[in-house]
Amino acid sequence: MAVSKEELKKLILEKAINAPKPQLYVKDFYECDPDAKPREVKNAANELVKEGKMDFWSSGSTTMYAAKGRAKNEETR
Amino acid sequence: MAKHNTPMMDELEKGPWPSFVTDLKRQAEKSPQCWDILGQMELSFKDKITHWKHGGIVGVFGYGGGIVGRYSDVPAQFPGVAHFHTVRLNQPSSKFYNTTKLRQVCDLWEKYGSGMTNMHGSTGDLVLLGTRTEHLEPLFYDLTHDLNWDLGGSGSNLRTPSCCLGKARCEWACYDTQAACHGMTMHYQDEIHRPAFPYKFKFKFSGCPNDCVASIARSDLSVIGNWRDNIRIDQAAVKEYAAGNYVANGGAHGPKSTLDIQKDVIDLCPTGCMWLEGGELKIDNAECTRCMHCINMMPRALRPGVVQGATILCGAKAPILDGAQLATMIVPFIEMDPNNDFEQLVEFIESVWDWWMENGKNRERLGETMQRVGLPTFLKVINVDPIPQHVKEPRSNPYVFWAEEEVEGGFERDVKEFRARNAM
Repeated sequence: MAVSKEELKKLILEKAINAPKPQLYVKDFYECDPDAKPREVKNAANELVKEGKMDFWSSGSTTMYAAKGRAKNEETR
Repeated sequence: MAKHNTPMMDELEKGPWPSFVTDLKRQAEKSPQCWDILGQMELSFKDKITHWKHGGIVGVFGYGGGIVGRYSDVPAQFPGVAHFHTVRLNQPSSKFYNTTKLRQVCDLWEKYGSGMTNMHGSTGDLVLLGTRTEHLEPLFYDLTHDLNWDLGGSGSNLRTPSCCLGKARCEWACYDTQAACHGMTMHYQDEIHRPAFPYKFKFKFSGCPNDCVASIARSDLSVIGNWRDNIRIDQAAVKEYAAGNYVANGGAHGPKSTLDIQKDVIDLCPTGCMWLEGGELKIDNAECTRCMHCINMMPRALRPGVVQGATILCGAKAPILDGAQLATMIVPFIEMDPNNDFEQLVEFIESVWDWWMENGKNRERLGETMQRVGLPTFLKVINVDPIPQHVKEPRSNPYVFWAEEEVEGGFERDVKEFRARNAM
């Protein structure tokens, strides 16, 4: 049974904050709720970006997610 | 920004061909940061290493694609390119621009960026090269509000769909490629603007098997126009070609090129499915593999059939380092009906995505996932029955294997009884 959307967002954000790697692929969040469909996980993660709690980091060919402030920011390096 | 001493870059202006260095120098008169592009490239040539840092968290609010971050790793030396982000625009279907729109986008880019563009290179989009982070939001506002134009896809998003000229200009288009391209672009706005997949995903739409957008070589999901009945033949026109009264290949080989039908058409048919009989051209249509050679050579005599739709292929990629992979034919024929919003295509796309989102590894293109699991598994998960056309040489390479439960009687057999009849 998949958790609610808000619960899923909470689990995703927790993982993004606590994971040893600062930047994660969307698939890394699938384990937050193994019963949720990949599309639901993706939508929840994208909503967290919209809410300003996470960032997209993109190389141009692939995109990763990071909790706000954790992504490698070339402008401040 | 100062001009730099660039002897190696200057070498690239020599010779009879157009030079991007000359273009950069011309643009630098208006946009001085272009001097720093030349200076940094010269340094890269000297150091034999790139001085670009690629990627970042730059973008515009609400979007997770369309902007690719880029920075110089020697900003003190070349401040004009300290930030040099790339902006991808969603080109119109078939790349039908008018000059007003192009002038507007050039003016916009001179206001907010370097003025340098890349029209439909390997990425496919209209690419605006080089701007600073603080210019991205104002640029995006003007682009969407004044020009009514949107960003394209980048990263792990659905990339900007592209299509051939289709029915707008081509008599061979078997479906309306522009309608399909625009329809899928609008239907999948969320997937274009925000990451959705393990890696990039590309659609390309070609109206006929000539495949003018090379979808078979470049897209994860390639939609190629096709017909399921017979090639239409105008025998009177065949006779005109035979008599040398019609120019070959629509005049592509010169206005006086004539055709030897046997040598130039029949002998070059890859499946040998054509012959002349009493001056009439005959085709065994069941053997035709849609190579389009005969239709290309004799456009006034031969045309695609009338029951038209598309063939779906999956799994192409064209990476720089490890070589190209052509797509594999998956669905031989589907209807492409704009009146039902291409529902058969949408259903197929979503069955592929649902499976690939779950099973594709990070940074694994659909074609790589297909290769990893094998074609039989891929066909099974997307509910397509195997057919001989899925196999290049079905008699010598039985690519599709049957599971025991699919075979009458299973795999159990009496070996002794078999050997009694068939000695070793």
